[in-house]
Amino acid sequence: MEKKDSGLNRRNFLKSGLVATGALALAGAGAFMLDRNTAQARVRPDFLRPPGAINEKDFIYGCIKCGLCVQICPVQAIKLAKAGEGVAFGTPYINPRIQACDFSCDALQCVETCPTAVLNFKPFKEAGLAAVEKATQEAGADFAKVNPFEVQKVAMKQIVRMGKARVNTETCLAHHGLGFKGVSRGTDFRGIYRAPESADASASPLAEKQFDREVCNLCITECPIGPKAIVQEPSRSNGNLVPKVLDGCTGCGVCVMVCPTRETSIIVEPS
Amino acid sequence: MLNDYFSSGKNKEPLKPKSKDELPHSLLGISYTEWRDAKKKNHKWRNIRWGFLLFMNLLFVVSFTFDLSVLEGSLSGSRLIGFYLMDPFNALQLLAISSTTGYIGHLTMNFWIGLITIFLFWFIFGGRGYCSWMCPYHFLSELAEKVHLYLVKKKKIRERTYNIGLKLVFFIGFLLLAVLTRNLVFEDLNMVGIVSKAMIYGPSLLLLWVLAMLLFEAFVSRRFWCRYVCPIGTTWSFVGKLSPVAIKFEHDKCGYCLECQKVCLVPHELWFVQRGKATQDVHFVGSDCTRCGLCVDVCPGNALNYAVKGASALV
Repeated sequence: MEKKDSGLNRRNFLKSGLVATGALALAGAGAFMLDRNTAQARVRPDFLRPPGAINEKDFIYGCIKCGLCVQICPVQAIKLAKAGEGVAFGTPYINPRIQACDFSCDALQCVETCPTAVLNFKPFKEAGLAAVEKATQEAGADFAKVNPFEVQKVAMKQIVRMGKARVNTETCLAHHGLGFKGVSRGTDFRGIYRAPESADASASPLAEKQFDREVCNLCITECPIGPKAIVQEPSRSNGNLVPKVLDGCTGCGVCVMVCPTRETSIIVEPS
Repeated sequence: MLNDYFSSGKNKEPLKPKSKDELPHSLLGISYTEWRDAKKKNHKWRNIRWGFLLFMNLLFVVSFTFDLSVLEGSLSGSRLIGFYLMDPFNALQLLAISSTTGYIGHLTMNFWIGLITIFLFWFIFGGRGYCSWMCPYHFLSELAEKVHLYLVKKKKIRERTYNIGLKLVFFIGFLLLAVLTRNLVFEDLNMVGIVSKAMIYGPSLLLLWVLAMLLFEAFVSRRFWCRYVCPIGTTWSFVGKLSPVAIKFEHDKCGYCLECQKVCLVPHELWFVQRGKATQDVHFVGSDCTRCGLCVDVCPGNALNYAVKGASALV
């Protein structure tokens, strides 16, 4: 009796085990195909990886999709990818046109919180410490006046490379010599940021801000990095004062969020 | 003594079954059915457990919604008042892939601390205790199980069971898939992660996959995902092999009614409750047990209880 039972059991196991293996193979093939087909087009101007992201090949398995970076971001710029992104489902991304990373957390907290270091804090830590050391040396006898926190946070955000901004000269207001007056993205736009001239520590809504510019330069004045990233200079073709993106651009996307044209005239191309 | 801690006693000679006069209902002087049905409506441990499970899962949601920083992240990886906790199978997949690519050296100290902490915690509280006390899919699956049992009772469907060894096939299979595709394949199919993240970060299309599995469990095979597939449960069952917190069975109080096996997610672990199967006066339920307490609630003779293994030896 017992023998017959175990025989049936073994046959049952082989049969269901085969079905299970088939299902696993299907899942594997599906994941492989999805990854191959979406890997190239995955990171794009409306799907930027958060600051400090390592290369996409390692990112896609290194990210355990916990969402800690999402939770710590004070401006909620980071979202988790939906099912449409295939194997990237649940991984974090930033769409700067909706909500850019404005560095108002001051210390790249999403990077610091990541347990698997796919947002890698090491280079930021090193850059911060090096900058503090340099500043203290330069200050000499006045070293006590150096605020290490300020020095550190500036140095850290400057080495972020989420991508680099590129201006669309066809639609950019400045390229047509046009100014801008009013609320940039309409009064019901929900995006927030900390403007460079703001004394407030937290971010405030873009919709509450009135601009009045003879020549549109919002992307230049609102940039959290400043003249190392984007400057105004006369265009070679017609002499209009237009924005020029420099190598210091971090790809944070604040320019993309504040751009007043219907379709953004400046995008961040992922690095 | 140590041997008693590790061994299930399954390969020993069975004890002599109790005679009719020795059974609990005879000793109490009541009829068998009266004795058996006495605790049918007792749901003490289930209610405590559901309360805890819902509280913990809502704590994730509330922490994020109101920015409380108490329990951040999701069940795929979280931070409890600043202390990191990792999902074990997520971590195993990541370790498997990253040891082939060399990325393993980049993982942060927080990752390792989180992984060790969660293993220690569930080692103490009984491995698969995670399933019934924490996993939100387990809760949904228990509701689907009610539908399933109703349909079986009304003879609308037939009970289908498979070999319990399937879960090892899935455990090894998903680890291999992770290494081969360099993707956390299981995380995209993971009921725990999908439900937990849907609650915290908002619904996703993958909830349809959860719904499909719940329907399959309701209409085809009872508790299919938890019993035969989920590699997180399998990971915890490895951890739970040596857990001190377990369900203890006392043969002298047992009336061979088998009510416990009827409510159990893993009835094969309660093999000793059948007449003539027990080999010791005391057995501890094996490592697949989720410590859910349904058997404790239902047992008319109170032969099954939560206990700390080896506690008597220490005292």
